[in-house]
Amino acid sequence: MVDSYLRERSSKDWKKSEKHGAAEWLAERWTSIALIVLTGWALWSAYGLMGQGYDAALAFLRLPLNAGLMALTFVITVWHTYMGLNANVLDYFPNSRLIKLVSFIFCLLLLIAALGGLFLAFKV
Amino acid sequence: MTQPPNAPKAVYRPLSPHLQVWRFHITMLTSILHRATGLALVVGAVLVAAWLVAIGLTASGCCPQAYTVFLSFAASPFGLFIWFGLSLAGFIHLTGGIRHLIWDMGLGFELKSANALSWWGLVLGIALTVGFWAVLLATGKVVL
Repeated sequence: MVDSYLRERSSKDWKKSEKHGAAEWLAERWTSIALIVLTGWALWSAYGLMGQGYDAALAFLRLPLNAGLMALTFVITVWHTYMGLNANVLDYFPNSRLIKLVSFIFCLLLLIAALGGLFLAFKV
Repeated sequence: MTQPPNAPKAVYRPLSPHLQVWRFHITMLTSILHRATGLALVVGAVLVAAWLVAIGLTASGCCPQAYTVFLSFAASPFGLFIWFGLSLAGFIHLTGGIRHLIWDMGLGFELKSANALSWWGLVLGIALTVGFWAVLLATGKVVL
């Protein structure tokens, strides 16, 4: 009985923000599903590259498909991370704009560093 | 007038996950672990970004030693300890995330099912980590 009641309610009624509707809640779920696939690919690739050295790693990243998937993995990871950090900030420091700002800047720098490194490896 | 005359300016709200008032149970532990492992995985994202930066700097000639420096950390005993911790956090976060996705579909909310899902997620996360490292060691990808 509990299950059927909640199944009717869950996706329709829960976690709707006054400002964003269900968009953020849905984004958390879609990025989770995407990351199951993308981190699985990344883990499999890391397994293949282990012990192969610098040349193999560079050759791997210079393939457009691998570079594209790596960039996508990082964009979605950082997006998911940002939402996760914000959920913690909201729960424990609900009035702190500073922590929210620090979390945003950290995620932005992380993304710039990863994509910058990838760009150098792919292009230069 | 939008507020009653004596409305308090700031309302006290207990902060999630209410550790002071909840009795310990497995869904509580796995919920806390899901947050903790998510935070731990930020370190993993930083390390993967560092790997990309190291390859990029080496390839561009800006810092030819960058990849060697990264590898000397990554393959050190401390580095392996960090990778092990990250893989444990990753697999527990993965199974925890799948558990949340199941709950988000409105399934598994009966007390017994919720507890079982939590236990299975935790055990599976640990088993996947042990299996992953067993394969790495058995194939010689990681040497202690």
